[in-house]
Amino acid sequence: MTLFKDKKGIIIFGVIVVIIVIVALTAYSMTGPMGIEERFNHALGLPINQEDHGNNWFGFSIEGNTLLYGIILAVLIVASFVSYKYLKI
Amino acid sequence: MAHIHLEDGSFTLFWVIVWWLCALVLIGSALFLLRIKKTKDVKKITMAAFVTAASFAIFQVQIPIFGGVHLNLTPLIGILAGPVFGTLIVFIVNIMSAAIGHGGWGLIGANVLVNFSEVIVAYLSYRGLKKVTSSLFFRAGIATFVGLICGNIVMIAIILISGIQGITQSTLQILTGLSLLAAVNMGVAVIEAFITGLIVAYIGKVRPDILEGTVS
Repeated sequence: MTLFKDKKGIIIFGVIVVIIVIVALTAYSMTGPMGIEERFNHALGLPINQEDHGNNWFGFSIEGNTLLYGIILAVLIVASFVSYKYLKI
Repeated sequence: MAHIHLEDGSFTLFWVIVWWLCALVLIGSALFLLRIKKTKDVKKITMAAFVTAASFAIFQVQIPIFGGVHLNLTPLIGILAGPVFGTLIVFIVNIMSAAIGHGGWGLIGANVLVNFSEVIVAYLSYRGLKKVTSSLFFRAGIATFVGLICGNIVMIAIILISGIQGITQSTLQILTGLSLLAAVNMGVAVIEAFITGLIVAYIGKVRPDILEGTVS
């Protein structure tokens, strides 16, 4: 029974993955390569501005201000460790 | 993952206020539920801090797939922190994202509603799937897909209801364009489902007590 339940999980997950990949590739071939904001503007008929993501590491880039991103992330990491130290998990 | 990537001024002031009020009602309800709870779950506060940091960190990173997309781990937030803390987490992440210039301030209300739908649907799906499969990986993975599909539907609905200022496209054209956008977005849901599944399966292996206490 447990084995059947596990197989049910992999079957459902596999079917969803296959369907989504096919649908996503079809939609991508229809729209072409675009950044997320360009894709949004294109979908709504707004003027398309070329996205400028400044620092780019192997195609990965940070949205918004990179310095502020670093500062806020550092604060969140410190807050997480403080809560871990005092409240545990 | 679903997020309304528009600048301030895209929605009329009326709809900005409507979505903000809806979001504030949700946030107020979450705070009220936490306040009336007699025993404070301090462990969940720590978990909420961790998932907030993780979600914010990954949400700002544009991944070079399909031209550029990003993850936001909202289903993971729902599974690990529950819908009450999850509501507050998505609000905080959206505020901080707007603060660094990712998304407009006026759209935070609408985006909180989109992300909340992902959190609650993933949370409920994860719990409901216990009867379907005992594998934590597949439960979390399938819940992620369901949550993200729902988030995209809510995102499209909010845009269609609000309308966009300064465009001449018909509702049908907008619906077609947004459906294609959502379909491309869902391609990335596969990555998000694997990441969420792996994290939940790992936590279930090393600290199953954390997953048992996800009811809030």
